[in-house]
Amino acid sequence: MIATSISEKARQPTREPFSAAARLRFAIDTGGTFTDLIVGSPEGGIGMHKAATTPADPAAGVIDVLQIAADAAGMPLYDYLGRGEILVHGTTHAINAIVTGRTARTAFLTTAGHPDTLMFREGGRQDAFNFTVPYPAPFVAKARTFEIEERILRDGSVRQPLDKAQVVALLRRIAASDTEAVAVCLLWSVVNPEHELAVGSLIEHHLPGVPYTLSHQINPSIREYRRAMSTALDASLKPIMGAYMSGLDTRLREAGFKGRLLVVTSQGGVMDAADVAAAPVHLINSGPSMAPVGARACRPSGDVEVLIVGDAGGTTFDVSVVRNGRIPRTRETWLGRPFASHMTGMPSVDTKSIGAGGGSIAWLDSGGLLHVGPISAGAVPGPAAYGRGGLRPTITDAAVALGYIDPEHFLGGRMRLDRAAAEAAIRTEIADAMGVSVEFAAASMLELANEHMVQAILDITLNQGIDPASTIYVAGGGAAGLNCVAIGRRLGCETIVVPETAAALAASGALISDLTAYYQAMFYTTSAAFNMGGVDAVLKALELRCRAFQAMTGPDAEFVAIDWTTEARYPDQAWEIEVPLRKRRFDDPSDVGALVEDFHKAHQEIFAVSDPHSPIETVGWSATVRCRIGSSVLGRIQSALSEREFANRRVYFGATGWIDARVRRFETLSPGVVVEGPAIVESSFTSIVIDPGARAHRDASGALVITVSE
Amino acid sequence: MTVVRPHPTNRIRVAVLTARLDGIVRKMANTLHRTGRSGILTIARDFSCIILTARHELVTAADSLPIHTLRGPEVMSRTMTENHETLRRGDAFLHNSPYHGCTHPADHSILVPVIDDDGVHRFTVLAKGHQADCGNALPTTYMGAAKDVYAEGALIFPAVKIQSNFEHQMDIVRMCQLRIRVPEQWWGDYLATLGSARVGERELLALGRELGWETLDDHIQEWFDYSEARMVSAIRAIPKGRLTRSSRHDPFPGTPPDGVEIKATVEVDPEAALIEVDLRDNPDCMPNGINLSEACSRSAPMVGIFNSIDHTVPKNEGSFRRIRIHLRENCAVGIPRHPTSCSVATTNLADRVANPVQCAFAELADGLGMAEAGACIPASSGVISGVHDGLPFVNEVYLGCTGGAGTPSTDGWLTIMHVGNAGMCYQDSIEIDELRHPILVHSRRLMPDTEGAGRQRGALSAYSRFSPLGCEMTVAYVSDGNQNSAKGVRGGMAGGPSSQFRERRDGALEAQPGCAEVVVGPGEAIVSISCGGGGYGAPRERSPALVADDVREGWISRSRAETIYGVMFSDDLEVDKAATARSRGLPA
Repeated sequence: MIATSISEKARQPTREPFSAAARLRFAIDTGGTFTDLIVGSPEGGIGMHKAATTPADPAAGVIDVLQIAADAAGMPLYDYLGRGEILVHGTTHAINAIVTGRTARTAFLTTAGHPDTLMFREGGRQDAFNFTVPYPAPFVAKARTFEIEERILRDGSVRQPLDKAQVVALLRRIAASDTEAVAVCLLWSVVNPEHELAVGSLIEHHLPGVPYTLSHQINPSIREYRRAMSTALDASLKPIMGAYMSGLDTRLREAGFKGRLLVVTSQGGVMDAADVAAAPVHLINSGPSMAPVGARACRPSGDVEVLIVGDAGGTTFDVSVVRNGRIPRTRETWLGRPFASHMTGMPSVDTKSIGAGGGSIAWLDSGGLLHVGPISAGAVPGPAAYGRGGLRPTITDAAVALGYIDPEHFLGGRMRLDRAAAEAAIRTEIADAMGVSVEFAAASMLELANEHMVQAILDITLNQGIDPASTIYVAGGGAAGLNCVAIGRRLGCETIVVPETAAALAASGALISDLTAYYQAMFYTTSAAFNMGGVDAVLKALELRCRAFQAMTGPDAEFVAIDWTTEARYPDQAWEIEVPLRKRRFDDPSDVGALVEDFHKAHQEIFAVSDPHSPIETVGWSATVRCRIGSSVLGRIQSALSEREFANRRVYFGATGWIDARVRRFETLSPGVVVEGPAIVESSFTSIVIDPGARAHRDASGALVITVSE
Repeated sequence: MTVVRPHPTNRIRVAVLTARLDGIVRKMANTLHRTGRSGILTIARDFSCIILTARHELVTAADSLPIHTLRGPEVMSRTMTENHETLRRGDAFLHNSPYHGCTHPADHSILVPVIDDDGVHRFTVLAKGHQADCGNALPTTYMGAAKDVYAEGALIFPAVKIQSNFEHQMDIVRMCQLRIRVPEQWWGDYLATLGSARVGERELLALGRELGWETLDDHIQEWFDYSEARMVSAIRAIPKGRLTRSSRHDPFPGTPPDGVEIKATVEVDPEAALIEVDLRDNPDCMPNGINLSEACSRSAPMVGIFNSIDHTVPKNEGSFRRIRIHLRENCAVGIPRHPTSCSVATTNLADRVANPVQCAFAELADGLGMAEAGACIPASSGVISGVHDGLPFVNEVYLGCTGGAGTPSTDGWLTIMHVGNAGMCYQDSIEIDELRHPILVHSRRLMPDTEGAGRQRGALSAYSRFSPLGCEMTVAYVSDGNQNSAKGVRGGMAGGPSSQFRERRDGALEAQPGCAEVVVGPGEAIVSISCGGGGYGAPRERSPALVADDVREGWISRSRAETIYGVMFSDDLEVDKAATARSRGLPA
């Protein structure tokens, strides 16, 4: 099968030919605009590198960025990669394949009577009066949807037995067609999987070699549309992601890499490339899920705090949360615009993404009101300041016009920006029409973009019941520093943290993340009559699966823990919340009492209300097993030799007008030195604006810590 | 008319502020959605959240149901201030009176006046949710046959104080609990609705303290002026004209034998930048439950208007200044007098107002307006009730209601439900419904060849079939569109009609009336077919590639594609371009 085409050596440790001291760990995050690399060395130092993403062949960007790192180390790529122990890869390849329709031709098999589950979805619509947005086509065409004669009821009893003859006839038809993958989702298979399993073995027999996915295996949760989506996505991604993973594996090995290839999952862990190729639906949110892991690493005290993590890239702004050391998950992840696309149905790190980045274009509507985005200048033509033919003003242009970005030292001087072009674009499209100065228009563009980002943050904190004023804002991404103080002030945060690795925050998270597997099972019980034996059996089965995973993680991996959670609700509620379990077993009625207490607390935390006299119902149980590979501590960036300081420059703030700002180099800023705003702290990868009244210093982790208050 | 061009600095503030106000409404909605208890709130999301100024001006109702919000909230807010001389922080009011601005008695609403630190009333927040049960004489919130409010039976609350100093008035709560079926569920929903309004109050207080109340007020007035200016340019882009279109509701108990014809006269005056809709030439209130409340009589034509113009025009007091709705007292689509029943005011006749309005715009010019959306409420979206294992159950289910109308640029949105809902409600998961209620859903599927054919076609009808498990089940519904299906516009054709049947144990199908409470026994089933949506533009103008796609997907039969759309195929279902051109009378 697909998965086995990836080198099974991947799981094996590599002891030779280099000594332990020479071994390197690579983490590579392929984003929309840039491919980021963080290299960890045994001495604890890390290196950060960036190359342009190559959308047509993402593996090329991976090799490119490794070449840049090898050059920086002064070694041939083959030798440099040969020192590699592990390579962790975060990729948007899966979601891109879905968005651009390059997934496999997939057949969808479902319970007779319900062929249009993927068409109805769960209903819902955004923007009641906007009828220019079309209804989304089903993820699998109706012409490839087939009804299976069978029916299981909610209690698992078989109302109508599976008609095997009918299935066989159907599979023969499918075999004769151009079908490349099969997805099977039958009603109530999560309670009784016997029909899905039977269909699975018939597929093995009649469609040998054709990848298929059974819904109760990939996403054992209730709500048939979501489960069907997970199943269809998984099956349809198997051929392309299998090919991508084995292609990347081959190219890395040809380039000299002999270590273990791991891939970032939507749930914020990593898996072996071979495993993930067999369940590629886990890769859909692979990119953004690592930013909170990176943020947590630079804030070790984060287990008693709430971190809001913003990752500001070229085209999107992604928000996530770290709550008391935990990264919350959600089951509501959309492939595109909410309600105008489809849900993945899979648990995933709770991230919110909006089209607001350096490339977002500012424009005026017919009433003269300013808008920023969602249109983006993208990488081509890019902002006007790039001088590649872009004429419309973007957020990057505004930052250049205000003096926040030094046109001479963008990306460490590797790219020169055209300030006059940036100003001209703002003048023509915005300032003249509004009758204001260029700098006023530019400051307004930033302020509005900030508000969009703030609303994205509020959306996600609201879902988690978090008051942003009591949090720390962690700013990541290449554009993070432009507005982090402004966003922090608007949220009411006292402290803002810009990690040393901010410009490659997701890659830095990937470098230190654990090997994880996530297992879940459905089992309903109520605290009013808790079925301890039933729950125990479910937890035992989950633990066995965790231990089996642990056994095959290889000798390099060290067992860390199994995290237990349940999905619970008040009677009659339709939505569950995730509550961590204190223990792996319910031995005693007091354990049930503890769970109920934790649930009330969690409900109060998220929704500001609880119903302490009510029983609770639990419907889902899950176990996440974590095994450590390499270090869990992110090292410090090895600073380049003699970085020169920059001259002070004029920058513009809405509150002060043009003002002289000190410019300091991030890399050479010593711990304990306080930088008073107005100031700009600049590194090769980002420019951090310290507004008047704010103060900044570097902490022991190398992060810039900004106190916003006057 | 003159719109003062405000200082650009303020314009920026206004842009930022509106994003914040929309954020507050979303926060209110999230609270209600995630903490409510009944399926109708937490699964179907049949609720709305609104911010009004203290002068009763609608500021925003982002992500809400149009028929719930466009007009009416201002009357509810005014009723609150008129009936209660002094408003204090900590007050909350329960309101469901259709004679005082509420949509219909099933929509329990909580109003909270936002009082600043000096005791000044600054805003009113309103959270409105459709109840699973509101204490009607029958276990349904849609009493289509009720001859008056007494026959409906629900308790009516014209902005009744239900909290003082943040404490519940338990007398009122106890009255509700004695009248409403499933009182625990109602109590949970009440707490969720109240919580939602309190969240809005808390956020607005914080915003006012941060910006200053006067500044905030100035910005909102500027937002209204901006919105009015946007509306002016939108109307100036529409040709001048005056058109009367009609739409007929099926016969129901208490209607004339051939149903109710509703006439809407739409007048667009680009010079004056004004849109007027006259609904006065329509029948008097009827002895049944489908009369419109004033809120619905005013909102429904505005749904039709805003569906027809530039969708980016903000919907608030500012843009509303450019709209005049002419109503008549004691008119079925006007201002009802107590004790007229308005039990079903949000859907049936309201759709018969909104639909002809948007069709009138379509007749004014190609590229404007929309076709008719399908009528509702089919049995598949009815209220089911019964007693299972000694426990009563009652809830509205959303098992398959479609009906989206063809528009100038898109095919009908499949799950629109009905024109006033705009597809904002969710559709139920089969597994969740089977888990929560003693029912078995045999089938939910789309029906081929039921679309209103057109250049942009309407949505298909949905077929649903479901049974009670181990008990009897009553299904109550008010299914319009059995006889009068959704009309097309500009040469577009009508969508398929709705229908409903009781399937006996032997498989025999018994047709059921459009407005009924049908008892379904164990082993029997209810079969429900929803309306398709009307088409926009002539079917023969539809892109052959889109027609071919529909044929391959099985939404349209090949013979219908050939006869209605004039698209001819080769044997492998590729479009035969030459034959299609011939069939469409075009040069090959």
